[in-house]
Amino acid sequence: MSERPAVRLTAVSKRYPMHTPRGRLHSLKGALLHGELWRARQVGEGFLALDGVDLEIGRGETFAVIGPNGSGKSTLLKLVAGILRPTAGSVEIDGRVTALIELGAGFHPEISGRDNAIINGMMLGLSRAEVLRRLPEIVEFSGIGPFLDQPVKTYSSGMYVRLGFSVAVAVEPDVLVVDEILAVGDEAFAHRCLDRIARLQRRGTAILLVSHDLGLVEQLAQRALYLRGGTPVMTAPAGVAVARYRSDVAGEEAGAGAPAGSARRWGNGAVSLDAVDLVDGAGRSLRMLSSGESAAIRIAYTVRVPQEDFVFGVAINREDGGPVLGTNTELDGWTAERLAGSGEIALEFPRLELAPGRYLVDAAVHAKGGLAYDYACEALAFTVTAPVGWPGSYAPRHRWTPRGPAMSPPPG
Amino acid sequence: MSSGAPPLGVIASLYRHRGLVAMLVVRDLKARYRGTFFGYLWSLFNPLLLLAVYAAVFTWVIPARATSDVPYPIFLFAGLLPWLFGSGALLDSAIVLADNGPLLKKVVCPPEVFPAVTVLSHLVHHVLALPVLLAATAVAAGMGLMRFPWTVVLAPFALVLWVVAVSGLALAVAALAVHFRDLKDLLHNLLNLVFFATPIIYTLDRIPVRLLRRLIQANPVTPLIEVYRDVVLLGVLPSLLMWAWAAAVALVCWLAGVWVFSRLRETIAETV
Repeated sequence: MSERPAVRLTAVSKRYPMHTPRGRLHSLKGALLHGELWRARQVGEGFLALDGVDLEIGRGETFAVIGPNGSGKSTLLKLVAGILRPTAGSVEIDGRVTALIELGAGFHPEISGRDNAIINGMMLGLSRAEVLRRLPEIVEFSGIGPFLDQPVKTYSSGMYVRLGFSVAVAVEPDVLVVDEILAVGDEAFAHRCLDRIARLQRRGTAILLVSHDLGLVEQLAQRALYLRGGTPVMTAPAGVAVARYRSDVAGEEAGAGAPAGSARRWGNGAVSLDAVDLVDGAGRSLRMLSSGESAAIRIAYTVRVPQEDFVFGVAINREDGGPVLGTNTELDGWTAERLAGSGEIALEFPRLELAPGRYLVDAAVHAKGGLAYDYACEALAFTVTAPVGWPGSYAPRHRWTPRGPAMSPPPG
Repeated sequence: MSSGAPPLGVIASLYRHRGLVAMLVVRDLKARYRGTFFGYLWSLFNPLLLLAVYAAVFTWVIPARATSDVPYPIFLFAGLLPWLFGSGALLDSAIVLADNGPLLKKVVCPPEVFPAVTVLSHLVHHVLALPVLLAATAVAAGMGLMRFPWTVVLAPFALVLWVVAVSGLALAVAALAVHFRDLKDLLHNLLNLVFFATPIIYTLDRIPVRLLRRLIQANPVTPLIEVYRDVVLLGVLPSLLMWAWAAAVALVCWLAGVWVFSRLRETIAETV
């Protein structure tokens, strides 16, 4: 992509000062007399909440940040929102940012919903006239109709949050920063929020999302950053990052501690994937095939510790990270019985109807709960060719049937 | 790394967000009297009642005279109004950033907006109280107790100087109070001291000790209050030197306030 990313973080670190009265006075003096507030802190006092994060989010991309509590997710969000400044590194944002960190934060209880909406909108960067123009839409979306001119202290907490969300999305930001907000409100409103977020995605809004709802992350985000203790573990397609995080959590619960591994490959090593290949009907290894040919993804494994709880999974992603297919033996209804020794398992496609382009394959063997024995990202790359350069990733056999337009069929 | 925003940036940001500042001032005013029966009339009643109490106390309880040609209650009132505006704005500035913490931490919002809003909403109350003073002056003049001060047309100039000084100090107080919570209590006592060290309840020429008079004359708040009361009440045209002095104090307060604020601006959201 040639255009500038909507968000770019380069080697960003954030250190919080420790809050002691003396420390405060000291930093105050330093700031006033020597202008040394930042330099003094970089030397190493305080708490390092985020360390060395690099990140790029393109226009229209939805990017999630996941990780356990205290891993620096909210700090990252606030840095992107411009609420905090990085201690080191740079944060570049192209366009208007809106933060949905706490909905309705700063509503004044004594004044009406209308006035609060106007003030909130202006804080988010609109002019008064712009807010007024969008007010009908805000009111419609929030559904607070008759209460618009009542002071917000009389609102239920649901109404409060709905009004806050409505104002924030009415701003139509270029970059939207979202922190766990979809956990609030009832089911119906949560659905409308998701619809609205999808609309922003289509409009080209870059969305940075923090959520503990991993299902939602997989559903909404294309890519994700997995943070742990302020340090990035991996940036990967959302499904992969979520799988890694789930595996780590499952490993910790099993008392094994966080499993080690690189950003590309991890697992506890009970089973290891020896080879992942794309093969044709005759079992010959392939790197290139034409759209619609039959093919299989063959996984060879060796077991060190025999298992009774295991799932084999395969994911195909486009080269840019967009998911194409993800499935595993559990989803497809197979019941695990015993896994020992070494062997092979193949996922066969009678017709692999992919659009032309380059694809990457992730393969994994893990426990049902997500604990990875071996998870290999981008274990395999292959290229699909086709006579026509269809966009997208799915290219099934198809035919046009004109029953009206006078057209001549393609030659041949 | 930067050690703060450039001072000009703070001023530019205030200008850019003038619409928001105006809305927030209106919000403050609306919220303040929400649910009261008399509503905005309280802005008029409050100074009126204050004047009535002073008039009663200093006419019948302790008959006092400050200058020969103006009734003492009105004299006191004319000095108290700008003082209450200034000290009220500063005391509120010391808590305004903490009060708006959610906005600073959860919404992207420029912090300089809040002290500006505090000063402006106090200014609105002050301006609403001025007609009470003018009416009282007119009544006193009508009763032959004093001459009506036509210099009152210069009041906007005196008021501008006072507002400039208060705004600068409010910015500094707001930013410093974030780091140094004790400032709020310190300020309270400091303002008390300055109140008595400024000729508000007395006039300079009534101070018996020469040295003390010099000291109080050197108090930087003195010229600002004196200029204000001279034109609003006493009908005296302050000398050019007096104007210049008051203007210089106002300018220094403003510049110092903006400088302190811009130095601390970047740390506000994470400290508040």
